[in-house]
Amino acid sequence: MSVNHQCSYDSGRRGNARRGLGSLGIVLGVTAFAALLLSFTVVAEVPGAIPPQGAHDGKDVAQPIEFPHNIHADVNKINCMYCHTYARRSKVAGIPPTSKCMGCHSVIATDKPRIKKLTEYWENREPPPWNKVHDVPDYVHFTHEKHLKRFVFDNDALPTENVSEVCAFCHGEVKTMTVAHKTKPLNMGFCKRCHEANHGPFDCWQCHK
Amino acid sequence: MSLRNLLENWGDYRKGREQGGHHKYEHMWGMAIDLNLCIGCNACSVACYAENNLAVVGKEKFEKGHALHWMRVERYWDEPNLGEARVSEYQVHGASFVPTNCQNCNAATCEPVCPVAATYHTPDGLNAQVYNRCIGSRYCSNNCPYRLRYFNFWSYYESSWPAPLHMQLNPDLTVRDKGVMEKCTFCVQRIRAAKDKAKMENRVVAEGGVVNVGDQPFKVAPGRAKVQDMEFQTACQQTCPTSAISFGDMLNPDSQVSKLWRSHQVELGKTSQKKPNPELRGYRLLEELNTDPRVMFLERVREV
Repeated sequence: MSVNHQCSYDSGRRGNARRGLGSLGIVLGVTAFAALLLSFTVVAEVPGAIPPQGAHDGKDVAQPIEFPHNIHADVNKINCMYCHTYARRSKVAGIPPTSKCMGCHSVIATDKPRIKKLTEYWENREPPPWNKVHDVPDYVHFTHEKHLKRFVFDNDALPTENVSEVCAFCHGEVKTMTVAHKTKPLNMGFCKRCHEANHGPFDCWQCHK
Repeated sequence: MSLRNLLENWGDYRKGREQGGHHKYEHMWGMAIDLNLCIGCNACSVACYAENNLAVVGKEKFEKGHALHWMRVERYWDEPNLGEARVSEYQVHGASFVPTNCQNCNAATCEPVCPVAATYHTPDGLNAQVYNRCIGSRYCSNNCPYRLRYFNFWSYYESSWPAPLHMQLNPDLTVRDKGVMEKCTFCVQRIRAAKDKAKMENRVVAEGGVVNVGDQPFKVAPGRAKVQDMEFQTACQQTCPTSAISFGDMLNPDSQVSKLWRSHQVELGKTSQKKPNPELRGYRLLEELNTDPRVMFLERVREV
């Protein structure tokens, strides 16, 4: 399934935002649009699943440490679920505890400024105050574990090593980012189109609480 | 209910209840409350406040009828002249208690009047209330013969849970804001958790078909979660010190609640319970209105 189109209300909203920003805005907008096009072309095929459709350009969320997802997931090919352990067994994917970071980084790349900052947090015994990027409203019930079961663990055609392709359904190509950036709308229409295509539950109270 | 679903199953929508209704049920949660065991301690009500993020509105608003007690214990005095002289507002003897929560009627009167379909019947047989869809028209509340729907006339978040009390809020359900109707959900968050757990453990009933409850057929959906009886409890049931409340799946003939309904010859789809054995207890609130509630009370109906 390679059809990806923006829903009209999304593009409309982005268009209005751009109009108020002047020439710098146009330049930024064009680059954002190019980035979006690029993200369309690299969507990988997942057997037995129709990816959700829709795009979004979220705000940049500043993080205490500019965590490079690309180095971890793309260059070093670390599985998403190695750090986001809870995804396969709970509602939330979870942020790894600092001890998990230090498991590797007490040895690896200790001279890099980001790792020095991380070590500082570790030695002060306080977690880095990460900011949430992908959030759904309070009235939405979403479980990572059931989605992973449907698309990964019950899906024999997809090896677990390729789980990032399933994560990319809703989180975009995090592999190509440093800190995560919201590239999917994560609104009801986005969820609903995917549930319709993949025959997910369609009852209000399955997702609304 | 998507349009596709509506078009595909149009024939089913046209059929009446006697043919299994328009729903394919996954479960049909029901309740039985033994009034002989109820001591009127209000623990169920308190448990409900804690579990379901119910706001405490304060005395003034309570008197205006703004309270949000999803599970309330109603009191009746069946012999008003019994006992001592009335020293206070309440007399000492002759009280009986009826814990009333949403009756989750099979033919709910609140559902057809909602202008935005915020309240509807789920495949679990629950009478759902979708808060983010609700526009606060209050038609449902006006149409509920039991007065068991509660309206948020105010926003209580700051007054009811000043910091650090907001830390006690249950994250599994929304804190409702001003202008939203709410009611007992049969602890849908616990139902959901139990169903999710069953599905994660591959406990699924593969085949669909028809299940009879009493003499009423109900169509069941294939691939529904196989939740064991008493795998989870509602908050009121869990807290009741005398175990007066039973809760379970009425489509499961072996569940405690099905057994109670059967053994006391209380049947769904009836407007009065005609029992051959006068010793048997069991009635439903205002069942003559044909709302077909799924909460049954165990008490002999007697003339006063």
